[in-house]
Amino acid sequence: MTPNRRTFAAGLAAGIAAPALIRSAFAQGGSTKIGMVVPITGPAAPSGAFAITGAKIAQEAVNKAGGVLGKPLEIVTEDDQTTNPGAVLAFSKLASQPDIIAFIGSIRSTQMHAMAPDMLKAAKPVAFGGTDPNLTKLGNPWLFRFRPNDSYSGKVIAAFGAKELGKKKWAIVHSTDAFGTAGGKALTEALPENGGAVVLDQGYANQSQDFTPVVLAIRQSGADIIGSYFTFENDLGIFARQLRQLGVNLPWVGSPSLVNAVALQLAGPTLNGTYGVADYAEEASDAARTFGKLFRAQSKAIPDNQSSWTYDAVTVLAMAINKAGSTDPQKIREAMLSVRGHQGAEGPYNFDKNGDGLHGYNIVKNDKGSIVFDKRIEFTPQLG
Amino acid sequence: MDLVLQLLFTGIGIGAVYALVALGFVLIFRATNVVNFAQGEFSMVAAFLMVLLAVDLEWPYWLAFAAALVGMAVLGAVFNLTVYYPLRHRTYLPVIISTIGASIFLANTTLALYGPQPRVLSGWFDNPGFTLGPVYVDNQYLLIIVVTAALVALQYWFFEHTLLGKKLQATSQDKEMASLLGIRVSTMIMITFVYSAVIGGIAGILVAPILFVSIQMGATIALKAFAATIIGGFGDVAGAIIGGLALGVIETFGAAYVSVPYKDGFAFLVLVAFLIFRPQGIFGERVAEKA
Repeated sequence: MTPNRRTFAAGLAAGIAAPALIRSAFAQGGSTKIGMVVPITGPAAPSGAFAITGAKIAQEAVNKAGGVLGKPLEIVTEDDQTTNPGAVLAFSKLASQPDIIAFIGSIRSTQMHAMAPDMLKAAKPVAFGGTDPNLTKLGNPWLFRFRPNDSYSGKVIAAFGAKELGKKKWAIVHSTDAFGTAGGKALTEALPENGGAVVLDQGYANQSQDFTPVVLAIRQSGADIIGSYFTFENDLGIFARQLRQLGVNLPWVGSPSLVNAVALQLAGPTLNGTYGVADYAEEASDAARTFGKLFRAQSKAIPDNQSSWTYDAVTVLAMAINKAGSTDPQKIREAMLSVRGHQGAEGPYNFDKNGDGLHGYNIVKNDKGSIVFDKRIEFTPQLG
Repeated sequence: MDLVLQLLFTGIGIGAVYALVALGFVLIFRATNVVNFAQGEFSMVAAFLMVLLAVDLEWPYWLAFAAALVGMAVLGAVFNLTVYYPLRHRTYLPVIISTIGASIFLANTTLALYGPQPRVLSGWFDNPGFTLGPVYVDNQYLLIIVVTAALVALQYWFFEHTLLGKKLQATSQDKEMASLLGIRVSTMIMITFVYSAVIGGIAGILVAPILFVSIQMGATIALKAFAATIIGGFGDVAGAIIGGLALGVIETFGAAYVSVPYKDGFAFLVLVAFLIFRPQGIFGERVAEKA
């Protein structure tokens, strides 16, 4: 057949209409949708891949157990490009789809701050992983945190370094983004009650190519321990190498990025002997062990918090939606707030009125490249 | 004093990387009068080629290095034929947009092939460095400085003492005149693209053991290298080298003595100052209106 204007027009119309028809047919097939904002490109893309793996493991388990509201659970992802504008755009794309009934936000506090106003407007529950304590104090009732906030990590790092390791003079190195600034502040505030003092508070901009000035400042400060809040693993890797090259071998206790899989791969032996607070530690509980087993069946990487929080988020959101028995956001929110003692991969979930689900941390040690569980420190939540 | 020496060494090391990439900018600018915004991606692609050959396929390091540079030469030629050549008679703007498009294409193709995970590439030396008096000398930084110096010397000899070098210079100075003298301008431009891709590749392979191999490594370096070329005087080889080294030293000292978080700010503050007070750069000549 020779194409003429009519057949061309018909073909064009079919081409334009096809995606919408396919989408519509899929929707009629019936699924309960959760939207997920995740870095697929940009510096945080490695952690994004782990986040998706964690969410997919939970999705499979939920669907195997009957799905959500009698339908299969579907996770719709949007790339946040590891930038704040990218995150806002990704969330608005998801929020514009009325059949998405809940969201998974970012593990990065700075992006959560950027998206929070739109999340308030969307008025649907958002599970997120950013650890800036301020995020659950914004008066936004839809935010539910699936990692312990930095007021806990600061307290645990300070208590462990000052009391267990007996080090009192602290050099704090932190990113100047929302996560790093809030973490550095939390650690600074927790030190006096543990007998420690800050001798150097050193911020740095993300994606720095050289940390020589930071390392030299630590060397000159007279510090006997380093506390750190690094956002990106490649920054951490460069810092760790230069730290050791310039002869600084101080004890080092840091936020979870210090002991995650990407950091271990990039920094290698330069991180040996360091301690991290970890929201996920495989040996911390039966639930953590179960997740570790499921994760290892899917990935060659070591299971860590980048995937465990999304695993818990999908599991708990599915549980809450089923408990609510409806897609009504307010009912799902109430079901989330009533979660008590759910044993997740990251620990026991008890949501307080602000939306914080976890209230403790594990301490782990990098023992020649293996992450070894030391202890879990749990704080009593004010559930109100 | 110890601190100053350590910072100076690191600053020169980082500056040498900027200088190498800036050299690629300058060579293409001289030959074509356009800025190649994919110059940083040349570095990134070469580093990933090294990961493929030296890490994944476990080739000997020197062989992988040689093969990666051959790969970069091919990329430079293809780049010339597809990105520059079809637009060579247009004004500079479509060519610049074309190089930006190529940069996005290279970054995303690498992302599709390798995924987002940064990779580790070891350096030439098993021993990471040594202590010289009060200064820790990172072998990789030392190698970068030595290679930059050698390439600059080689380039000087090539442009000043070989016929091909003189033909390239003639092409960059006046394409029409060069053509009237029997020089094949399109071949000269092809050689320039190949050489710039190889130089950018060397920079990427040298810096990869320090910054890790990632999709965004090219863009990070290229932005500073671009600033270095403006500071040095756009189109001037010596200016690119001095500009790159100056930028590395200024940002390292600025970070140490003023503020670490605003480290990148110092580099661009210097850039803005140059644009206001000496837009032709250190070595550039003042551009006068033609009568």
